[in-house]
Amino acid sequence: MDATLTTATWYWLLIPMPLVVLLSLLSWLVHVLGARRGEG
Amino acid sequence: MVNATTLTFVVYLIGMVTIGIIAFRLTDSLSDYILGGRSLGPGVTALSAGASDMSGWLLLGLPGALFAAGMNQIWIAIGLSVGAYLNWQLVAPRLRIYTEQASNALTLPDFLENRFSDETRLLRVLSAVVILLFFTFYTSSGLVAGAKLFEATFDMPYDAALWIGAAVIIAYTFLGGFLAVSWTDFVQGTLMFLALIVIPFVTLQQVGSWDAVTAAVAETNPEFLDAFHDMTVLGIISLAAWGLGYFGQPHILARFMAIRRVSDIPLARLIGMGWMVIGLFGAMFTGSIAIAYFGPDQLDDPEKVFIVLSQVLFHPMVSGILLAAILAAVMSTIDSQLLVSSSAITEDFYRQILRKEAPETELVWVGRISVVIIALIATLLATDRDSSVLSLVSYAWAGFGAAFGPIVLLSLMWRGLSRNGALFGMVSGAVTVVVWKAQTGGLFDLYEILPGFIVCGGVAILVSLFGKPASEETLVEYDRIRAMWR
Repeated sequence: MDATLTTATWYWLLIPMPLVVLLSLLSWLVHVLGARRGEG
Repeated sequence: MVNATTLTFVVYLIGMVTIGIIAFRLTDSLSDYILGGRSLGPGVTALSAGASDMSGWLLLGLPGALFAAGMNQIWIAIGLSVGAYLNWQLVAPRLRIYTEQASNALTLPDFLENRFSDETRLLRVLSAVVILLFFTFYTSSGLVAGAKLFEATFDMPYDAALWIGAAVIIAYTFLGGFLAVSWTDFVQGTLMFLALIVIPFVTLQQVGSWDAVTAAVAETNPEFLDAFHDMTVLGIISLAAWGLGYFGQPHILARFMAIRRVSDIPLARLIGMGWMVIGLFGAMFTGSIAIAYFGPDQLDDPEKVFIVLSQVLFHPMVSGILLAAILAAVMSTIDSQLLVSSSAITEDFYRQILRKEAPETELVWVGRISVVIIALIATLLATDRDSSVLSLVSYAWAGFGAAFGPIVLLSLMWRGLSRNGALFGMVSGAVTVVVWKAQTGGLFDLYEILPGFIVCGGVAILVSLFGKPASEETLVEYDRIRAMWR
């Protein structure tokens, strides 16, 4: 049980890393869509 | 085997110098030489910022740390990712706009002087001296690390490795300045990225499955799976606090200043963060999977995990490319620091103080000669691989982060920051780092960047609030420029 718990723990701890990529992706999409709307 | 690998290295080094020659033809003014004429596309900006930031640590240190101590090293990767993201988010667009709008600042000291209309020149001179001093030692330390690596890996004499590496870096930086440094960084960043994907992927195929990796790690030492083992709260905070350093690193901030358009920043941020996070994961997976591949205690030096895997799993030609990625990581950091040091001499001292009317051609050549002089000093320092002077480098990341970081952030986000606030903040942040580092035990085991950052920011705010306030001229300019990024 301990091994499972600790393994799970460090997977969760790594979430901020993909999260910052996801946030970057979202803000890029917002930027692209905003620019298209501006052109339209 | 040595021949195929060596051939790959020679091709790589010739490629770097060729880029320098191409960039030479496009460099006419000082703005071109030290900021690429603000013409970088999002991809080059992103990978150049990443490759300048990450040195051999990403390919050697981080996999080695995971291999030797397990998951408790992930805190630094988390701290760096969050810090880099916030730097892209908060600093990049504002700094790009402000540096161009406020008298076209080409360097960080230039920006600080213009931001606060500092006629005394204290902010410029102080920050330029700090950059020049620390980056010369930083460059030297990078050269030592690169030469040691090749001495150990290829049985090459230390001095030969040192001078060959230095000659190539000097050649392309001398010729092509910022464009050469950024384009080579792009190629070097791509090499690093590919290596950090290929090596863990191929090693995992050899091991079999991810379950086999976790089972092997648990068998080696079950605590390796625990991110908290052997870690104190201070230890965790210290590792994560590395991310605070980003806001004050002049060689990374220069990339933000050089991007072609502010509207390119969202894509550059996405590419930059994707490169960094995938690279960090690749490095961490390499260290973890290597535990299963080699078994416990099978390597005398954990930091050679990446090198040994490159050599045993691949054809010598491919192995040469993967090993060139390590050289790329070291070189891409050294060249950027070298150029920022040269910029401090050329823009902040020569043009602004000594020869205000100097023509552009003269300035470009002063920049080139400065590159050679600084690089030669750094290389000569590096000939004594154990020089105590090089220990100054351990102050550099925290020193820049604590002295410049809060000032850069506040100057871009708070109109009320005064010139005295910036000056006293910078000095108090730097002094805190030096004093804190000299102490040991208890709270002083905390990485000095955190207290330095807090003291710098706190002093800057207090002096601005209770001392002589920001001048009307700077407030008007701040409001004008701020309206542009809203």
